[in-house]
Amino acid sequence: MINIKAIRVMIVFLAALTIPSVSLADKKEDAKRLPRITNDLYRKECGACHFLYQPGLLPERSWIKIMDTLDKHFGEDASLDTAAKEEIKKYLAQNSAEKSAAKRSKKILSSIKSSSTPVRISETPYIQSKHRKIYKEVYKRESIKSIANCIACHKTADEGLYEDDNIEIPKK
Amino acid sequence: MITLLKVLLAGLVFVITQETSFAGFQFNEEMKIFMHGLEQQAKKEEPSFKGFNAEKGKEIFFKENKSEKHGKISCVTCHTSDLKQKGKNVSTGKVIEPLSPSADSSRLTNVKDVEKWLKRNFNQVYGREGTTIEKGHVLLFIKSN
Repeated sequence: MINIKAIRVMIVFLAALTIPSVSLADKKEDAKRLPRITNDLYRKECGACHFLYQPGLLPERSWIKIMDTLDKHFGEDASLDTAAKEEIKKYLAQNSAEKSAAKRSKKILSSIKSSSTPVRISETPYIQSKHRKIYKEVYKRESIKSIANCIACHKTADEGLYEDDNIEIPKK
Repeated sequence: MITLLKVLLAGLVFVITQETSFAGFQFNEEMKIFMHGLEQQAKKEEPSFKGFNAEKGKEIFFKENKSEKHGKISCVTCHTSDLKQKGKNVSTGKVIEPLSPSADSSRLTNVKDVEKWLKRNFNQVYGREGTTIEKGHVLLFIKSN
């Protein structure tokens, strides 16, 4: 009888031990990785033309501005019907840099003046400073096209990982 | 004898199915209704209108226009001149699946998508939305490829 009780206590104790260690590992991972994209409509509509930027790369006010000016989207007409636009806007706003656990989101946020609402991730001071050593000509290479094409060099950008180890700048 | 009949029958079935595939892609119900609506609208707008024409659609598709951002632009710039091939977004480099319904069976099946892309891409290439007649011509051209 006593033995069974002791085993039970032991099991509970061991189980309790695993909880903090798992969540610690999760926290470390969360800090490194921009949260993955979870909205299918965002994936379909925005991913049809360009790399899918994680919502944690810009503040909420930036996403709202972008989504409210889709008819003039960086020189292109990217307009959507109202329902689709509102759903995507809500998703981006609810998962913006302010809500992200990633370190990078916090760094992007704190680099932006509260008076400014950047619509290009590449124009935020943090991202600019991170790319300061890259010659402008590099972005013009055929397989890169522009600084907006994250995945051209950041090979794991679609998984939200922008670590130095995962960079590979194409020669052409 | 029975085997011979079976072979002949199989041959006949093969020929028939080949024939129907030669007849080309057919619009689904919602696209038929949409095309019919465009036709009715076109007749109202242009009394001399005599139906949509794939050749005219081709002209619209290939016509180059001036673009501030890209110099010259046409539908071909991104979609290429062979609609069965994959294209590439001129600004971002992102691959575009073929426009031809024979190469991508999801093409021309969803009215909402069709209207969205017509609006965006006419604005992109022509700096204005397409007219009812232009839209019909272009859709017929894409369908025939």
